[in-house]
Amino acid sequence: MLQPVELHDFFITFFSAAMVILFGALYAMLFAWGRLHGRPKLVWWGYAAYAVLVVSVLTLADATHLTGFWTWLVVAMLVGYLVAPHAIWHLCEGTHAEPAQGEGDPRSAKAVPPRRA
Amino acid sequence: MTRVGVLDSSNLTGGQRLAVKYFTVALILFGAQILFGLLAGLQYLKPDFLYGVLDFNVNRMVHINAMVVWMLYGFLGSVYWLMEDEARHPVVGLKLGEIAFWVLTLAVAVVVLVYLFVQYGPGDIKTIWFINEGREYIEAPRWADIGIVVVVLVFYFNVLATFMKGRFTGIGGVIALDLLALAGLYLAGMFFTPNISVDQYWWWWVIHLWVEATWEVLVGAIMAWGLMKTLGVSRRIVQTWLYIEVALMFGSGILGLGHHYFWIGTPDYWFEIGGFFSALEPIPLVAMVVHSLYDAGKHELKSSNHPALAWLIAHAFGNFLGAGVWGFMHTLPQINLYTHGTQWTPSHGHLAFFGAYATINIAFFYLAAQQWRGNVYMSAGIAGAWRWKWALALLSIGVLGMTMSLLIAGYEQSFIERAIEGSTWAGYFKAQTHPWFMQAMWWRQIFGWVTAAGYLLLVWDLLAIGAGETRTATQVGHESEQAQAGAQAAPAAA
Repeated sequence: MLQPVELHDFFITFFSAAMVILFGALYAMLFAWGRLHGRPKLVWWGYAAYAVLVVSVLTLADATHLTGFWTWLVVAMLVGYLVAPHAIWHLCEGTHAEPAQGEGDPRSAKAVPPRRA
Repeated sequence: MTRVGVLDSSNLTGGQRLAVKYFTVALILFGAQILFGLLAGLQYLKPDFLYGVLDFNVNRMVHINAMVVWMLYGFLGSVYWLMEDEARHPVVGLKLGEIAFWVLTLAVAVVVLVYLFVQYGPGDIKTIWFINEGREYIEAPRWADIGIVVVVLVFYFNVLATFMKGRFTGIGGVIALDLLALAGLYLAGMFFTPNISVDQYWWWWVIHLWVEATWEVLVGAIMAWGLMKTLGVSRRIVQTWLYIEVALMFGSGILGLGHHYFWIGTPDYWFEIGGFFSALEPIPLVAMVVHSLYDAGKHELKSSNHPALAWLIAHAFGNFLGAGVWGFMHTLPQINLYTHGTQWTPSHGHLAFFGAYATINIAFFYLAAQQWRGNVYMSAGIAGAWRWKWALALLSIGVLGMTMSLLIAGYEQSFIERAIEGSTWAGYFKAQTHPWFMQAMWWRQIFGWVTAAGYLLLVWDLLAIGAGETRTATQVGHESEQAQAGAQAAPAAA
């Protein structure tokens, strides 16, 4: 059943919801930047951002009474935000790994003569 | 012969010439959207302003309809723009496309004139057919609805036939399938039912599924082509990501529709379905941050069209903030109970539509301006670069400012009207006249003027950018297309 947010929890609901997305993005950013430049410390800062995301999700869950069925949403968010950047990273590596035949380094493209777009 | 730095239609292909027509009308309608938004905003502050002449409901209707239609014009134009290049074949049925463009434009003009000068009907079947269908956001009368579907079908024929006669790339395949859904879903908003819950149920198919599924996918395909042209990103990469995006979009976007079914009289299970999938919708957006950084780190960001690239970057940020953050803040039914129908919705709507769609259309306007002037140089150090930078800044600040103002107004309404006063009629007026609400509306109006200033600068820049420039653009599109032609000629399995 649906239990609406209490009046005194309005601000914390909006604030924690925004924090979930913003710290999700910060985690993704630090994770990607750290791995891209071989800086493990940044990756760990990324996990710290994810820890703030966990606190935000739990705060949101408390304020919006996410119990019963809604617990699955909390679990899905926690797992989804943790795993998605890893998955996308692997996809990036896969898609960028081997250029197709006839496809060179993008930076060499400047040599291609202008063509009407 | 190509004339560089001069607006010359001989620099364009047939499809591109038609695209420029669509872009021109789109830009005019963008201006209409801002004008009628300003009028409607003023009526919040001065309720007597134009009362009885051009009432708030009419201004608001034209404001929103102009937005929907200018975005559609932008998308159709963008597809015509890229189609010949992508299919490597002239547009099949170009004449038909030209006729469809003029029919659509004439129909839009007539509909707007009827909105402005007739405004109301007696509420009978004639009103539905000739004046106003009465469905919010898609008020167009029935005759215009049918016209829109016919025009989209003509457009669909042109797209499909061109790709079939040329080559069917992944981008072409996604566009072709998506346009079928675009035309098909519109039908859901065209039949009449006396039950308001049933009516709203189908109406949301157009509103939500257009915006959060078919438009998003169409923009994804357009963006994929745009990234190849402005940054030289590999076709293989953009197409792979396009397929991933389509999967993610349909994965959470379709059932995310449920967040519109919370309060319209549909069964309770929509709370769970809508809440669950809507809450998961931002995850792909957040995950895409990884992809953006990966590409930015792996490739040098060298662009042949700086204004277009800047608008594509604005698209990434605007989409993330407007759709992601602003959407998630009020998507769960436990809080949406209070925010639904307040200024929260326009707050989210202003930033999300601007970020997700307006930005990408403007990026294409710049691509068109470049080619129209003979593929003119539009990178670092162009004359009058301040114009596009200030246009970008003013439009972004204006829309962000309106978003924040409306957020404050919406918060106040949720608090006073909904939570304290219990959604009563008295509570509605109490919230609407509260000083916080009024101050927020003044700020919204001020930022509306900032947006209008940005728009005027944008129009000026689009008309002037590249004029007198003698250098041509460096082609960054890195595909050695001939070498890849064999590999990519296979029909798309999108």
